[in-house]
Amino acid sequence: MNTVAGAFAVSSPREHDIGVTALQRQEELNRFLAGVERRALRYAEIAIRDRDDAMDIVQEAMIKLARNYAGKPSEQWAPLFYRILQNRIRDWHRRQAVRNRVMVWFGRNDPDDDYDPVAAAPDPLARRPEDELGTDRALAELSVALERLPPRQREAFMLRTFEGLDVAGTATAMGVSEGSVKTHYSRAVHRLRDALGEHYGE
Amino acid sequence: MANDNDDKLVRQAKALFDESVDALDGATLSKLNRARQRALEELDEGHPAGLRTWLLPAGGAAAVAALAFLVVGTNDTDMRVPAGVTAADSDFEMLIDENSLEMLEELEFYAWLELDEVNDAGHSG
Repeated sequence: MNTVAGAFAVSSPREHDIGVTALQRQEELNRFLAGVERRALRYAEIAIRDRDDAMDIVQEAMIKLARNYAGKPSEQWAPLFYRILQNRIRDWHRRQAVRNRVMVWFGRNDPDDDYDPVAAAPDPLARRPEDELGTDRALAELSVALERLPPRQREAFMLRTFEGLDVAGTATAMGVSEGSVKTHYSRAVHRLRDALGEHYGE
Repeated sequence: MANDNDDKLVRQAKALFDESVDALDGATLSKLNRARQRALEELDEGHPAGLRTWLLPAGGAAAVAALAFLVVGTNDTDMRVPAGVTAADSDFEMLIDENSLEMLEELEFYAWLELDEVNDAGHSG
């Protein structure tokens, strides 16, 4: 009797448990990605100054995290995600450097070729320009100052300050030692202070 | 005093960043949502990731070979190159500079990643 009943079972208890665990994992990863995606986009946008490319980079980082690290403990996801994101940003800068060289070599480097009037149209849901002016100006000053930092200092500052990673998490994300993170971060803060002035932030 | 100023700067920078995050428009948030759903599909699909990571260096090597052919091959022809621009030199310098060492480190990272996946597959299978 039990044998007959077992023959009609759709899945074993173990398979059921695995299915539930996978579903929980998916929900957990969804929560994690939903929690970091907006900050990651702005992080990438500041690093490369292009919204569309930043979106592509964030999507690639999310896909790679899901594909390769979903099985890791969730507390490791943040530094792994930002490590992937950081590597993608570095790759983007390398590709841009090569692309610019090649375009100059062939005598073509016209930014108007990429102009998209639809993408450039104002967003009705966006905040009014006058509301954003003060924030935009201050953020623009900060972005320029960040851009002038050596890459490692910029990464350490942005990961620690903007993304809230601790020293160990930042070290994992950057692929360097914790001591290096402290050094890069400290130098970044001093350079930003010099660049933005003593009264920035008051 | 310097520490106080540094703390203020860090707080101000974080506040600006947070504000810019909150100001993201609806279209961008929608794109992010779609990107996230696309990433979560990876969990269902069970991709043969090992094959792709194996192809990655091969693809990179092919790209480098194509670039080398383009640069070296076209130097043999009579193409007009702007004065002062030596693409071959500059590109190869870029390939052997400090950044390329980082690229090699990343290749080690990818290799570690592939090994990690193989081990994971071994444990689960």
